[in-house]
Amino acid sequence: MNEHQMTSDARMNRVPHGSDTLHWYSRLMVLIVSLTAAVPFYLLILLAFKHPEGGLQSISIIPDFHLANLTEAWVKSDLGRALVNTTIMTAGGILLLVLLASMAGYSIARVRSRLNRTIFALLLICMMIPGIINTVPLYTLLIRLRGINTYWSMICVMAANALPFSVFLYASFIRAIPRSLEESAIMDGCSFFEAFWKITFPLMGPVTASVVILQGLGMWNNYAQAVFFLQDRAHRNIPLAVSLFFQQYGANWPLMAAAALIGLVPAVTMFLLFQRYFVEGITAGAIKG
Amino acid sequence: MHISTTSWHRYMALPAFALFSLFFLLPLIQGAGLSLTHWDGFSTPEFAGLDNFREFFRDERALGDVKTTVLFALGSAPLLNLAGLSLALLLNRSFSGRNTTRALLYMPAVISPMIMGSIWYLLLQPRRGLLALLFEQSGITLEGNWMLSGPSALTVLVLVNVWQYAGMTMIIYLAGLQSIPAELYEASAVEGATGVQTFRYIVIPELLPALKINVITNIIGSLSVFDVIIALTGGGPGYDTESLSIYIMRMCYGNKTGYSTAVALMLFVIILIPVIISLRFFDSMEDAA
Amino acid sequence: MSKKRGWMNAVLMTLLLCAAAVPLTASGAVESTTEIDYFSGRVETVEWTDEKIAEFEQLNPSITVQHEFQKDASNVIKVKLASKSVPDLTTVVNQDFIDQGVFADLSDAPFWDRILPSVKDLCTDLRTGKQYKVATNVTMGGLFYNQEIFTELGLTDAQTWDGFVANLEAIKAAYPQKTPLFFGGKDSWTLGHLIEFWAHGVVKQDLGIPGSRQAFLDNTVQWDAPDGVMEQFAEALMELEQKGLINDDAVTASYDNQKEAFASGEAVMINQGMWVVGDIISLNPAMAENIGFGPFPSVVDGFSPMVLCAEDSVYAISAETEHMDEVMLFLDYMFSPAVQKEYSEVRSMPSAFTDVASDWSPIKDDARRLVDTYVNINFSTEAPSGLSVDDTGRLIQKLLNGDYASAADFAANYQELWNKAY
Repeated sequence: MNEHQMTSDARMNRVPHGSDTLHWYSRLMVLIVSLTAAVPFYLLILLAFKHPEGGLQSISIIPDFHLANLTEAWVKSDLGRALVNTTIMTAGGILLLVLLASMAGYSIARVRSRLNRTIFALLLICMMIPGIINTVPLYTLLIRLRGINTYWSMICVMAANALPFSVFLYASFIRAIPRSLEESAIMDGCSFFEAFWKITFPLMGPVTASVVILQGLGMWNNYAQAVFFLQDRAHRNIPLAVSLFFQQYGANWPLMAAAALIGLVPAVTMFLLFQRYFVEGITAGAIKG
Repeated sequence: MHISTTSWHRYMALPAFALFSLFFLLPLIQGAGLSLTHWDGFSTPEFAGLDNFREFFRDERALGDVKTTVLFALGSAPLLNLAGLSLALLLNRSFSGRNTTRALLYMPAVISPMIMGSIWYLLLQPRRGLLALLFEQSGITLEGNWMLSGPSALTVLVLVNVWQYAGMTMIIYLAGLQSIPAELYEASAVEGATGVQTFRYIVIPELLPALKINVITNIIGSLSVFDVIIALTGGGPGYDTESLSIYIMRMCYGNKTGYSTAVALMLFVIILIPVIISLRFFDSMEDAA
Repeated sequence: MSKKRGWMNAVLMTLLLCAAAVPLTASGAVESTTEIDYFSGRVETVEWTDEKIAEFEQLNPSITVQHEFQKDASNVIKVKLASKSVPDLTTVVNQDFIDQGVFADLSDAPFWDRILPSVKDLCTDLRTGKQYKVATNVTMGGLFYNQEIFTELGLTDAQTWDGFVANLEAIKAAYPQKTPLFFGGKDSWTLGHLIEFWAHGVVKQDLGIPGSRQAFLDNTVQWDAPDGVMEQFAEALMELEQKGLINDDAVTASYDNQKEAFASGEAVMINQGMWVVGDIISLNPAMAENIGFGPFPSVVDGFSPMVLCAEDSVYAISAETEHMDEVMLFLDYMFSPAVQKEYSEVRSMPSAFTDVASDWSPIKDDARRLVDTYVNINFSTEAPSGLSVDDTGRLIQKLLNGDYASAADFAANYQELWNKAY
């Protein structure tokens, strides 16, 4: 292990694949891409701080800094509670998802049994069926299970919805990890579980990070299910809270943007935390040798 | 040599499948049965045999939506992959500000589609959008109204979709790039390969899992497009830019719930065809590798 | 390696802790009080309603009101009905649900004596002659105009279509930079209202409100009659477009644009309902004194100008409710004059209760004048529910976009959609 560590460190110092410096044109590209991507975000900020007078028409390039929007949005939509609710449901959903999807993905990638093939095919097929079909039966089911206005029902439903994609992601990536790695570990006397935990799981870091980032995002923004299953004020999530600023006719965009901006902070923090893991994935990859 | 697989790990996909069955598959099957009924969404469903499917092929609005949806996907799916891969290659290198750039690219996808939509409209609306005003201030008057002609409206919709979701595609490619063992780059450097050769013989084969996932998910995502169109054109003028998903949603809550289920199953078939073709293609690539 | 594992573990631990909090906070306590479900689509008044519920619960400690509010209430209620879980009290009512027997008969309820007869009529189900819903307010729709400019140019309410066009042309001549009449057609319901007010309006005036409701219900109106209402309506709109009297982005501008254009003075007239007034004033407080409210002219010669004057803020009770008495007690409280005065002022809408006097809006006096002077029409509640104002608005998008060869084509297409949805 020590040897590997050293070689990988040495490699990090030499930095492979010309990733040390960027050519000026690459830098320019990065700049253009960042600016393009920043435009909608900047508009969100402009909107969130927009004074109600004059409407969207009177938006200018410099924010109004009408900070009252933030407090008004916070109070009106009970955003504090929505943040807590959304955090609980997203965290629970992600945990359940990563646990089940990594296990399933591993089994599907490593054991080509008829059972696994069937499960994988079913999951893939369901990824392509518009989810709106199951709305009514699912609602009826959750009433029977007493799942309306509970965190667990949302956690289960959101994890179930995210499973096909996540299993697909895990299975595809694990398939690409050479079996020989685990086999040699097992020959060295590791149990099967140890081989999974010590060898394969760390290699799954980047995939897990993508699952967390991509599916966590979907759970954070879940409206399609929440609108049916979270009915009382105590359980509302952020998208439901934000939807309060839609009215029968029209919408209050500045307040909605302010609420969205607040809801964005934890999501982006989560992204920054997990995307760091992509970099660490390099050292994990180096263990392969 | 083969790992002597313990029995429990053959069945590691079962917990995921159990959760999925209860909260997705069963309701889905129940729901799919409604495609064989005339049902307005609240009274007792009437068995209708294949009427709904026959109606689909006579329904001009639905067939028009199929065309819109397919055209949209033909533009969106390849472009998303291209943009996502380019961004991932660019941002896989280390430079200062990389994490910020990645976060910025990811941000449009974090903000809930409801609020994002209004921001795009604010920016791109014909005549009154900030972009149009910017051009006007620099002395260029944009003639015409992009929202009113099919091709230009679809082009704008595709571009916005790419802008919004390229960050998601990028994340998967980044995960793929990070899984490439550094020694492969080294080996190719030692053998004196050019950058292009390295990309062709190292990066592409190693990136196959990521490529596969992105191609499949972008096909599915583009063919089920909903939010971007709702936000920018609302499907109009008339139903010219309406996608099949929007149609399904509108029928489902517009007293034609049974029919909407049938249309949803038709959308499933439309998605299934390109997905199966791509899966076949990738399987043969993987076997060759 | 170990550092990385530690970091990952920390994140997983945090997730675990969050998940562990679930059972602690999950609800499931046994209630000793009666709980009634109140499902509302009125997101504008959520806070106000919660306040009233709290007051009611204080007065009636044995009753708890579970208030659920949704922006997409009209969709959510369908899923609830399909799952046989109808809320005890709801604000989302449509004719189909009434036909299905979802709601309780309120004909003998005590509040009818206090409600305007015209509103009671609009709440009456034509098939049975009974009332399955009750409305607490009246909403109005018509043309809003910039009072200052009207006064300056000496314009008054147009009595005929030609008079209306002349007004718009006078505005265009005096203020070439302004838009005489502004449409926000991207939000297609704003155009759909034109059909409901301007086109259906003629039929409603012709047959009277009860007659037209029955005709819609029985599908006896011939919309595609040669030179009929729909054709003349389409021609009227095309005339406005050809003469440049509406904004050139009428199909792609939004409802927000429409409000803003009117508030800023860029647009001189808009076709809207009184729900728009509060927003306009908050966009430009100076407009409070400058909003004129007038009737819309008939698109067919020989009919009088009209104003929409319809029921708003409806309630219905589930036919299956086990808590009828408690729900009625709650409605008693909500319908008390003091509470209704507040509601009317919060929503800027006149009350339907004869014993409620409120100061609901700056356009109050104009509204009174319109109701008394012009023909009152209703919403097309009996039009097929599968044909929403969102759908019909799309036909006008196509019309203004030049997708129809003739006005007759438009009328034929409308008839086709109507029959399909009927």
